[in-house]
Parts: sequence; C-alpha cells; structure tokens
Amino acid sequence: MELYGLLNYALFMGVFIGIYALLALGLNIQWGFAGLFNAGIAGFFAVGAYTSAILTSAAAEGRIGGFELPVIVGWFGAMGAAALIAWPIGKICLRFRSDYLAIATIGIAEIIRLVIKSEAELTNSARGITGLPRPFGDLDYMASQAAYLGIVLVVLAIAYVLVERQFNAPWGRMMRAIRDNEDAARAMGKNIEYRRLEAFIFGAALMGLGGALFAHFNRSITPEAIDPMVATFLVWIMLILGGSGNNRGAILGAAVVWIIWSVSEIATDQLPHEYAVKAKYIRLFLIGLLLQLVLRFRPEGILPEPLRGDLRHTKEGNRS
Amino acid sequence: MTTLLSLQAVTGGYGDANILHAVSMTVSDREIVVIVGPNGAGKSTAMKAVFGLLNVRGGSIRFDGDDITGWVPNKIVQRGICYVPQVDNIFREMTIHENLEMGAFLRKGDLSAAFDRVYTLFPDLKERRKTPAGSLSGGQRQMVAMGRALMLDPKLLLLDEPTAGLSPKYMEQIFQICRDVRGTGVAILLVEQHAKQALEFADRGYVLAAGQNRHEGTGANLLADREVAEMFLGG
Amino acid sequence: MDFLELVNFYIIPGLVIGSIYALGAVGITLVFAILRYAHLAHGDLATLGAFLALAVVTGFGISPLAALPIAILGTAAVAVGIDKVFYEHLRERPKIVTVMASLGIALMVRAVVQVIWGVDSESYVKGIVRPDVYFGLRIRDREIYTVIAMIALVGVLQVFLTQSKWGKAMRAMSDNPNLALLSGIDNKKVVMLTWIIAGGLCAAAGVFLGINTELKSMMGWNMLLPMFAAAILGGVGRVEGAVLGGLIVGVAEELSVLVLPSEYKAATAFAILLFMLLVRPTGLLRGKVL
Repeated sequence: MELYGLLNYALFMGVFIGIYALLALGLNIQWGFAGLFNAGIAGFFAVGAYTSAILTSAAAEGRIGGFELPVIVGWFGAMGAAALIAWPIGKICLRFRSDYLAIATIGIAEIIRLVIKSEAELTNSARGITGLPRPFGDLDYMASQAAYLGIVLVVLAIAYVLVERQFNAPWGRMMRAIRDNEDAARAMGKNIEYRRLEAFIFGAALMGLGGALFAHFNRSITPEAIDPMVATFLVWIMLILGGSGNNRGAILGAAVVWIIWSVSEIATDQLPHEYAVKAKYIRLFLIGLLLQLVLRFRPEGILPEPLRGDLRHTKEGNRS
Repeated sequence: MTTLLSLQAVTGGYGDANILHAVSMTVSDREIVVIVGPNGAGKSTAMKAVFGLLNVRGGSIRFDGDDITGWVPNKIVQRGICYVPQVDNIFREMTIHENLEMGAFLRKGDLSAAFDRVYTLFPDLKERRKTPAGSLSGGQRQMVAMGRALMLDPKLLLLDEPTAGLSPKYMEQIFQICRDVRGTGVAILLVEQHAKQALEFADRGYVLAAGQNRHEGTGANLLADREVAEMFLGG
Repeated sequence: MDFLELVNFYIIPGLVIGSIYALGAVGITLVFAILRYAHLAHGDLATLGAFLALAVVTGFGISPLAALPIAILGTAAVAVGIDKVFYEHLRERPKIVTVMASLGIALMVRAVVQVIWGVDSESYVKGIVRPDVYFGLRIRDREIYTVIAMIALVGVLQVFLTQSKWGKAMRAMSDNPNLALLSGIDNKKVVMLTWIIAGGLCAAAGVFLGINTELKSMMGWNMLLPMFAAAILGGVGRVEGAVLGGLIVGVAEELSVLVLPSEYKAATAFAILLFMLLVRPTGLLRGKVL
C-alpha cells in the first residue's frame, strides 16, 4: 500500500514535470534563443487548456462548445489558439525592447484571466469545464496514470526533437545571431521583427499545448486550477536554473524545480494550519530568492548553452 | 613652450585587440595639434587613450607632470583634460545653460566666472541660454559641447572631429573658436577628417595610418610633403 | 445621465484613482529613463508602503496621512536596499536581466507582506465615509487629500529636478548617460536618488490607494499595468507626462464601465498601452522609446 501510494505520487509528479518541461521548452524558444521576455506564460497555458476543453468536451447547457472532437484535435487547437493570441501582441511589441513585451504579456495574461472568470458562455466561469476525455482514461486508475505519463513523455520527446532540430538549423543560427548582436544581424539584412515574431508564436504554441495536456490530465479546467503568477514564475526559474538556451537544461530545470516545489509543499503541509499558510508564502519568497541567486552566481544555469559552431565563433569574436 | 601631454609608444585597444601600435605624440602648452589620417587609422582611438577610455597595454601617457596611464575619466577630468565626443556630445533636453552647468559638475563654489568666460567665447549661446540644446543647429550644438567642456577650466581640450557634418562656413567658425579658446590659455588636441583645412589651421599635426605614427611636423610642412599629399589629401 | 452625474460617478473617482496611478507612474518613468529598465516590482513596493503605514496607524494610533512620511521613508530605504543587494551587480548585464530580477523581487516583496500581514483585506479606518456635496459635486475629504498630495509631491519633485544640482544630474543621466559620466557625475549617487524618489512615491501611491479603497496583498500588483500604461502614455522620462497619463488612465477606466462590462475595467489600461505602442510609442509628450 505504501509502495502503491509512492508510485502513484511518482506518476503524478512525472506528468507535472513533463507538462512544465513543455512550458520551459516554449519559454526557451522565446527567451533562450530570441531574448524575448514573456511574463504571461500562465495566460497562454490557460488559453490552451480552455481551447482544448471546449473542443473536446461533451455539450453542456449555457455554453458554447461541446464539440466532442478527438483529443488530438483539441491539442492542435490549443496550440493554434495560443499562437493566435501571441501574434498581435508580438506584432505590436516586438519592434521595441523586450521590456515592453514583458509589460504587455503581464497585461494579456490578466485579460485572459478576466475573460475566463466572466465569460460564462465560453468557459462556464468559476465552475469551469469538467468531464474532459482523457486518452486511455478507461483503464485501471494506475494503468491510466501510467499511460498518460507515457503520452506526456512522447509529446515532450517530439517537442524536444523538433525544437532541437530547429535550433541547429539555419533558423536557429539566425536567431542566435539576432539575439547576440542585433545591429550586425540587421545590417546583414535579416528581418529581425519577423524572426522574433516566429519565435514568440512557436513558444506560445508549446505553452498552449502544455495547458491542454494539463486540462486532460485533470479531466477538468477551472479558473482556480493554477495560480498565474506562481506558474509563470516557476517556469522562469526552471529555465534560468536549468540553463537558458539549452533544451536539455530546460527539461532538467523543470524536474529539479518541480521536485523542490512539491516536496517542500508536502513538508510544509505537515505544519499546524496557521504556520502552513505562512509557509506557502515563505516558499514563494525563497523561490524568488533562488532566482536572484542564480542570476548572480550562475547565470548560465546548471547546463550552460552548448557552444554550437556559430556561437563559438561569435563568442570569441565578442571578446576580442 | 613646455610639454603638456606626451604619449610614449602607446599600444592598446578595446577588449583584447590592439588598435594603436606604439603611437607617440606630444602637445605643448597653448598649442593646437591635429591628428589626421585615413579612416580606421586610429585617430579617435588615440584621443580616447588619453582620456582613459581605452585599455592601454604598452607605453605611457603623461600629463602636466603626472603619469595618467590607466586613470579613469573622472580623475582625468579633475586633473584638467576635458573631452568632447564626436556624437551625442550635448544634453539635448536640457537648456544651454544647464548643459554648461553639468560641465562644471565637479566644480565647487561660484561658477559665474566660468559662465562669463564661455559666454564671452560664444556670444550666440548667451542669447539663447534658456533654449533646449537639442533644438540648435549642428554648429551651435558643437559650441555647446565645447562650452560644456570648457566649464571645468581645463588645460587641455580634446575634440573628436568637431567639424564633422558642418558646412564650410561653420567649419571656419569652429576653427576660429579653437583659436580663441587657445587664446584663453588652453591647449587643444583634435581629430579631423578635413585634413587639408585642419593642417592649414593647426600649429602641428600627426598623420596616423593603421594605428601607427606615419608623419609629423608643422601643418605647413606636412601639407608640402608629397607622400602625405598622395596618401589622403587627394594630390 | 446628466453632466453632474457623469462628473460625480465617473470623473471624480477617475481623477482620484488617476492621481494614485500618477504617483506610481512618475517613479516608473524615472527608473525607466535613468536606469533604463522596466521595474516590475513597482506595484508590490506600493503594497509594502501601504502596509508599513498600516503598521504605524495601528501601532501609534495616528491617522494614515500622519503615517505617510514614515511609510515614504521606509519604502524608500527598502527600494535603495533592494537595488544595492539585488540590482546593482546586474548593471553590466543586459537590462532585461534586471527586468527578470525585478519580477522575482515583486514576488518576494509580496510574500513578505503576506507573511507579516496575511492575505485578508484591511483598512486604515473603519466605517463608511459619506461624501460632502459642494455645488452638487459629491467629494470625500480623502479624495481631496489624494489629489492635493499628488500635486504637491510631484510639484516638489519638479522643483528638485529643474532647480537643484542633483536633480539636474538626474536629468542629465536620463538624457545622455555617457556624457553625464564624462562630465564627472557620480552615477551611484544618481541611482540612489532615483530609488529614494521612486520608492517614496510608491509608498504614497500605496497609502492613498489604501485610504480610498482597502489594503490587500495584491493591491500593488494590480496597479502595475495602469502605472506602466500611464508612464508610456505620457512619454517615458516625462514626469509631467506620467501625471497626465495617470489621470487619463484613471478616468478612462471609470468611463469604460459605460461601454464595457465592469469586469473588464482592468483591461482599459492594457488597451491604452497597446494603442500607444501602436500609434505613438513616444507618448503624448515625446518621451524616450527604449
């Protein structure tokens, strides 16, 4: 029984690590490779979760949706919807320094939160959308958990391979050139805004997919399912600690940070209630402090950005 | 005339690469010295070396009895060298008067004598002292930039291409102002693209090429030198 | 709806909340212009200021207005301390790294407030204040204090920036940092002054928001977007622009209720922000674009 509970917990944690790793990969496209600051990760996540929920759930009174489409359609829909939200924001803000994008993404995440809370006919407001189909959901509880973890890992693996390949392709070289020396890249006639927009949209699509995986795992999505600030910040610390610019680092960071985060939650939940509440905020404080320490003492993260051929060249060039 | 500034075999550059290779030059009291040379010869770099904006890896820079090699700009300013960059050399959104005030930031006590001196040199500026500097013409901006540098009462003024982008009329005016400034007891080291005009006006000149000394002498001698003429004066 | 109703229910509350945004936006615009990054912990510093004042109000039994100077000093000190401990060593790195650090600081400052004061709503004084009526205009005393205090604080700041040596040095650093350094202006002192001013104004924004509404641990974070919208609307680096921007954003938010469901009041600032970035990124008063 003890072993059963532990195994269940491990599966649960595995799924969450996989989902957060997808978010961190998405952020790595935006920040690690294009230098774009997205402070509204939770917004794109929520858009993906709700889009897939609307597309795949059964019909219900008082809200649109209930199309009962296959889950895979929901997932592609989630990516598409997140990308569609990212497009105008990127279009407007990417002409400027990334500071403006940071502010605008905080804004868009807030608007998405408002829409989810108030548009009952779309999202069923506070009650959320329930009864979502889950692939292999008919199996035994444990088998179904394991099967879902398998799906998450396959999706993560596909995303990893695609992103990694893209980074090593001319596209990735160009992105790094733009990030490391914008002026030189511009002088070489690169269409910088367009490339950045691509990176921003690709990253947002992965975040949307992460949201969809989350919703189908829980078989439901509600406005309270995630704390936007905490989720966004966790993904950031995952990427920075793991090593921005390094896809393996992003995945490793997701694992390390999520394990620390959820184990510390278990630990503090053992405390008497009045301390447990405070402990939650102390954990938030410490995760903020962790970011400061990483930025100061190990800005390259656990797994630094690999020195790809082109990068080795420019890094030396910069030093001279 | 005593030597005010001397560079001896200065080697250095930005980062790790050297741009200057054993460059030497001197400026005496109340002297106007011009550095000319083709693009990329290291003219402005030589000037920045004096002002501590360069990694100097070899040789020494002496000013008025002190070895100032490796000093930070702040300290060099206080020692009596002021520098006017080629671009972005004014506070655009501040008035002319405030620009001058910022020039005298390190100076304590009454500034009225310093203001009088600058406004006497540049009567145009006095009339428009409340005007934002960014709204002035190119030539007037150059005057504000020089005025700002003169507020600290330097012994040596460094001017990086003060006539770049100016009409011939303004160029003449800037050169005249340089003579006036020298008249108040200040030596001037300037970098110039307009080699011919600059050599006609300066006391002495240095020709740099590829980060090395190529020729030196009085303006007239350099102008008469065939090699110098062929190199970049266009014959 | 007649004109008086429009003024009483939309314009006056809009100007009051706009004055509060203005106080924060002035600090944001100074940090943006002088240090050259978007400071995302600005709202949460306002929260801290509001709760510091609460501690003074409950501890010494004085009015929130009397506690304001203490909150201003305390928050200014915290802002300087945060800069010294967390931001200063990032100065040579790309500015966006500091933006990221400031997002972490926002979380940390909020966590401190939540640990010390909890997450329930608090207020400085209990009970409902009815507005007085002047020539048909319904105004509460606290609303008058808020607007007057904003004008007074910004007025003093303007005098400082245009008349004093260090105020001019701050403007010089904003205008042309390289030339300011060449002129011998001490960058460290300018940075410290900037944080004292920005931190102090943050506290004022938080305290007045607390006086006019209530104190919550998310109160400052929720003001962040309107404050940035105000700074960009006015033109980054323009103090008077930040005030103008704050008032416009405040009034626009109140008026938005006439055309949008009230749930979307908070979206107004975002719409203004995107609109300005689209049509006139320099803002109304020709500020900087970073």
